[in-house]
Amino acid sequence: MTLRSTRWRHVMAVAFLIPALAVMPARADDPGISPQEIVIGMSAPFNGASRNLGRQLYRGAMACFLAVNATGGIHGRQINLVAYDDGYQPETTFTNTLKLLQHDHAFLLFNYVGTDPVTRVLPILKKFQNDQALLFFPLTGAEPQRRPPYDALVFNLRASYRQETAGLVDHLVAVGRSRIAVFYQADAYGRSGWAGVREALAEHNLRIVAEATYARGTAYTASFVRPVEIIAVDHPDAIISIGSYAASAGFIRAARQAGITVPIADISFADSDSMLQLLETSGAQDGRDYTQQLIHSAVVPSINSLDLPAVREYRALMDRYQPTLPPALSSAGDPDATYSTVGLEGYLNAQLLVQILTQLGDHPQRADLPAAALNSSGFDLGGGFTVSFAGGRNQGSDAVYYSTVRGGHVVPIDDWTPFTKNGSISP
Amino acid sequence: MKTVKLFRGSMFGIYCLFGLTAVATSALCIYTVDRQLSREYAANTVVIARTIASASEDILLNRDLASLQSLLDQYLEIQGISYLYVTDENGDFIAHTFVPGIPPQILAEHGAGSASVTRQLTGIGEVIEVASPILNGLAGSVHVGMGTSLIALKIRTAVGEQVYLISILFILSIVLSFLLLTRATAPLHRLGVYARQLAGVHADTPDETHVADLLGRNDEVGELARLFRHLAKTKPGSQNE
Repeated sequence: MTLRSTRWRHVMAVAFLIPALAVMPARADDPGISPQEIVIGMSAPFNGASRNLGRQLYRGAMACFLAVNATGGIHGRQINLVAYDDGYQPETTFTNTLKLLQHDHAFLLFNYVGTDPVTRVLPILKKFQNDQALLFFPLTGAEPQRRPPYDALVFNLRASYRQETAGLVDHLVAVGRSRIAVFYQADAYGRSGWAGVREALAEHNLRIVAEATYARGTAYTASFVRPVEIIAVDHPDAIISIGSYAASAGFIRAARQAGITVPIADISFADSDSMLQLLETSGAQDGRDYTQQLIHSAVVPSINSLDLPAVREYRALMDRYQPTLPPALSSAGDPDATYSTVGLEGYLNAQLLVQILTQLGDHPQRADLPAAALNSSGFDLGGGFTVSFAGGRNQGSDAVYYSTVRGGHVVPIDDWTPFTKNGSISP
Repeated sequence: MKTVKLFRGSMFGIYCLFGLTAVATSALCIYTVDRQLSREYAANTVVIARTIASASEDILLNRDLASLQSLLDQYLEIQGISYLYVTDENGDFIAHTFVPGIPPQILAEHGAGSASVTRQLTGIGEVIEVASPILNGLAGSVHVGMGTSLIALKIRTAVGEQVYLISILFILSIVLSFLLLTRATAPLHRLGVYARQLAGVHADTPDETHVADLLGRNDEVGELARLFRHLAKTKPGSQNE
């Protein structure tokens, strides 16, 4: 082979290679990423006893995404939120997650609902760990996704149930209510809240005085007489309910009908807006007020906190875009509230996700997501509600808000003395 | 058609024997199924309790009761398991599957031993409960309750199917035996008619067409037919004389 012919071959090779490189992308796109869109996967209950959670969470998130898409998306890509109904059944969530990752090629998972459904998909995230499949901002304050080995696979925006229940116990004990009973859902969610109450009481050298359970998926119309009877035997000073909004409302109704007048507190998963709606409807039918002496724990500000820009933005975008459910997930005759606490959480989740995705730049890669989320400077979600994953924490916020019902409205609790054991309770 | 009285006693005896066989077989079936299923379920319960106890060690050390509850809930889906609960080293309940509450009997009597106990619980029924220690009892124990109602149901199903089969066979055998006996006794009826004619009860001269086709048989019926015919021929006043 002569030197001349070798050179000629090199020239030919380069001549063919240059056009080939020109048409090749700089690097392969990750799943869910195309020049036009970013696919985000969501599995939540859109039907069944807890349907309002999935619906409001979706609508709140879509209020944000529609606004972002209307202004050109994220670096030119539209956000496509693909959502499936799991009916709050862990096995369906499991199936939906596989579908989202393998069929829909979701870039990330987002806005899942419930402790048991989320706990069920954690092993999937572990399995797809090498593909950097991550779950962002599930609506649950349970511990499994906050602890090894799953803490690196899930980012939580909200405070934990442990923080919510600890605050409730501290406040109740402070006003002299030390005999605390727990009504809870017989699953991982209920156990998570129960454990939080137990640990918080142990800090005060106290124990849970009574407990009763109900099966997941129990409807508001079911009888809650037996759990009330079980708890009433030990004469508690206060009851903490770790349930869905439907079951918690059913328990409150049955307790009040049985003459139990002690404060009943519930945590953020029991959507206060949906619960209040059920209790007010039943109260009007029965000629009673079931909303007295209720305490609600929340992990996002009240939708009536109009002094907070984040709340004002949420309400404005809900008014402007009026997000609707995809046809496959909606059902007739079930109107959704315009604003809701869960909807606000969905909106804040989406706001934070948009900021993280924006940081990924023009070529979003799954592998870059943790670094973008762990941005030590934190995120301002609308002045007054800031979150940060600084220090490698996978939980952005520790904020817990307590509210009660007065005059048919949810109002923040600034003063706990009305809940003093022998004090008067202002309706 | 009717069977001759000769076989009625024999038939009754056969039917009684058949019934006795059916009852004895069913009783043996109940005993065998009960014994084997009870052993199998007890063994499975022990294995389940040990498996959960082993899997619970890390979970408990991490104070992750939600994951422990998820573990119990998954095992509750196994057919026959009525309940599961875990107690800590102090005997306090830290996870369970009872709805709407822990039965008072279990609250009063739960222990950490691994021996199985049989309980009669209101709303649940009879249960075989097996316990298994976690970390040799340092972290508590797992308790698994297996309902015996499932065993009873399986016995009822097995015996029911057997009785159903035997009943069908019994009815078929009655019908078949009736047909066979009717066929077997028809020549005897005809011989009886011939014999009564021979004895001069109904006619002076016996009608040989009753036995004509029986004469060629080489069994007892043929022999009787030939004997009667011989008697008819030797009868005083016979046409052959």
